[in-house]
Amino acid sequence: MDLPVQQFRTEAEQELLDLFERSVDALPGDASIAAMRKAAIRTYAGLGLPHRRVEAWKYTDLRGALDNVPPLLAELDVQVGESELEAAIGKACLGLPAYRVVVAAGEFRGDLSDIGALRDDGVEVVSLAQMLESPADWLTASLEDAAGCGDDVVIALNTALMTAGVALRLPEGLTLQKPIQLIHLDMIGASGSIFTRNVVVAEKGASATLIESFGTLGAKELQRNAVTTVSLAEKSAIHHVKLQREAIETIHLNVWAANVGTEARYNAFQLSAGAALSRNQVYVRFDGEDGATDISGATLARGRQHCDTTLVVEHNVPSCESRELFKLVLDDEARGVFQGKIVVKQDAQKTDGKQMSQALLLSETAEFDSKPELEIYADDVVCGHGATSGQIDEDLLFYLRARGLPEDQARALLIQAFVGEAFEALDDEAIGDALTIVAAEWLGTPLE
Amino acid sequence: MLEIKNLHAKVDGREILNGLDLTLPAGEVHAIMGPNGSGKSTLSYVLAGNEDYEVTEGSITWNGEDLLDMEPDERAAAGVFLAFQYPMEIPGVATMTFLRSAVNAVRKARGEEEFSTPDFLRTVKEKAKQLQIDIEMLRRPLNVGFSGGEKKRNEILQMSLLEPGLCILDETDSGLDIDALRIVSDGVNALRSPERSMLVITHYQRLLNYIVPDRVHVLSQGRVARSGGPELALELEKSGYAEYGQDEASAA
Repeated sequence: MDLPVQQFRTEAEQELLDLFERSVDALPGDASIAAMRKAAIRTYAGLGLPHRRVEAWKYTDLRGALDNVPPLLAELDVQVGESELEAAIGKACLGLPAYRVVVAAGEFRGDLSDIGALRDDGVEVVSLAQMLESPADWLTASLEDAAGCGDDVVIALNTALMTAGVALRLPEGLTLQKPIQLIHLDMIGASGSIFTRNVVVAEKGASATLIESFGTLGAKELQRNAVTTVSLAEKSAIHHVKLQREAIETIHLNVWAANVGTEARYNAFQLSAGAALSRNQVYVRFDGEDGATDISGATLARGRQHCDTTLVVEHNVPSCESRELFKLVLDDEARGVFQGKIVVKQDAQKTDGKQMSQALLLSETAEFDSKPELEIYADDVVCGHGATSGQIDEDLLFYLRARGLPEDQARALLIQAFVGEAFEALDDEAIGDALTIVAAEWLGTPLE
Repeated sequence: MLEIKNLHAKVDGREILNGLDLTLPAGEVHAIMGPNGSGKSTLSYVLAGNEDYEVTEGSITWNGEDLLDMEPDERAAAGVFLAFQYPMEIPGVATMTFLRSAVNAVRKARGEEEFSTPDFLRTVKEKAKQLQIDIEMLRRPLNVGFSGGEKKRNEILQMSLLEPGLCILDETDSGLDIDALRIVSDGVNALRSPERSMLVITHYQRLLNYIVPDRVHVLSQGRVARSGGPELALELEKSGYAEYGQDEASAA
């Protein structure tokens, strides 16, 4: 293949190209998809892996972090029972009433998924691999739109190598009463690469909640690349929730890209607790007036974990509202990164955009890097941003201890209170409670 | 019984308590009065175990145990309770969650069984009612958006739930109007018992009309300058603190 020439490639950069060459014939999809994959790998070949001198990756040196690239993981016969699921994502989250969809070890698992129930309730749902063989127009449109994010290496690699996932379409006016819980798993003892893609299309007035839970069955040195695109037509609403508790050696790259139509709402919430290195990108683009988004979340990191949350909200049209609140709890030598870009185009008058990131540093060696970026070309807008980092307030600690709480418990309560504010963004109380339990478990103070 | 002997304490390198002696027998209520800067609040923080206050000399024993040797939470378990002059606001912690955590932590440390949820709720509701606290208020984050009176009533609610043996009330009357003062005082008086000692710290005599002390001590420059019966408070109300080194006007 004729690839653009990059002067120098690291071993991992070359291995990604080799991986594509080796796998391309077996990857699912018709000729149009194959062409899309080839274009995407060319994009990647031209860019290479991002590193510190790429502004959007200033604090996360992906090129430096990847020594090599393990083969594609595609195992259909991984044993997944209730106990494995419970261990992977936790009892509280597994117990949420939801339609369950499972993607394990790089394969969609129809046998573990409530596809029949989803279809009965009016959702068009197909395994991505199956749909790539004869893609519906809405799928192609979504894939092409994502491919339009020209310089995003994570999306480019995902388009080139995606093997599994689900395509979901909510027809006009459908309100799904229960959330859909999409469970992403790895494989015990495995070292491998997983590229999954999910496509969600909400037609006019449709609404649903999608929980994506990433859990581990005990993988070694997993590299995950997971992309979900969400298209929201007029007056539709999607609540998109993520729980990430990958294995501690995992590299986790994730993109959510949403296009928000007129009077539509896209809410995203992400709780990150696992993985050695995680990069969570959320892109929201307003295509219609009076749209709204709330992107919130919490990062819990310790040891040498590195967790990067990068948000880009594009206000292309007037009168849209965006809210961002992220809370990070960083212990030991953990590093938390928050980058929030808000772009307000010239036509996007009456934009209301607010952003806040707050870190609680539990050790002297933890690090928080925050980079707000506001690019405003309109003159009648309200935009604000803030970032704070601090330690536990000793006066509050004394107050709690004077009431009988032992120091550990008092600290945990204060950390929980700090994180808890982010959880208020979740409208669904049951999901909020389940994620609160996950956070409490991380703190070592399981709630009653 | 609380016994304080020759207590010296510093904060930020400055000596505030300077040889304070005080004995508070079981079941008695003693008032601590004195001008601003005389060491009243410092005494309360030292008793509760705030690490910002360094004890350089002297001893404090509570029912024969060395209080200075205990962590703040151990003191709470041993029955020491400080009603804060400025109760802390903690956004993100529901008052009810905080109350239950505190009560169960103390019960556990005392070797008592933790409250079940229904038992706890029943107890809280009963005690809240006596203090005219709306149960809705307890669902809000701890002290956040509470009025001065609500915060103080919340302190007394905690006091009654934790069943302390030594209650220290640090300027509980500050910021209270006359109705709130009456509610708070009734709450405190309801807790008076032969097993419970109280140290009521106040700048003004007014509170002592409602909570009548057995003894009154006047602090000046970090030690007890004078002790007497309840009539001493009335005398101070007339004469002021001028003879105790500092008057109100010069207070920090």
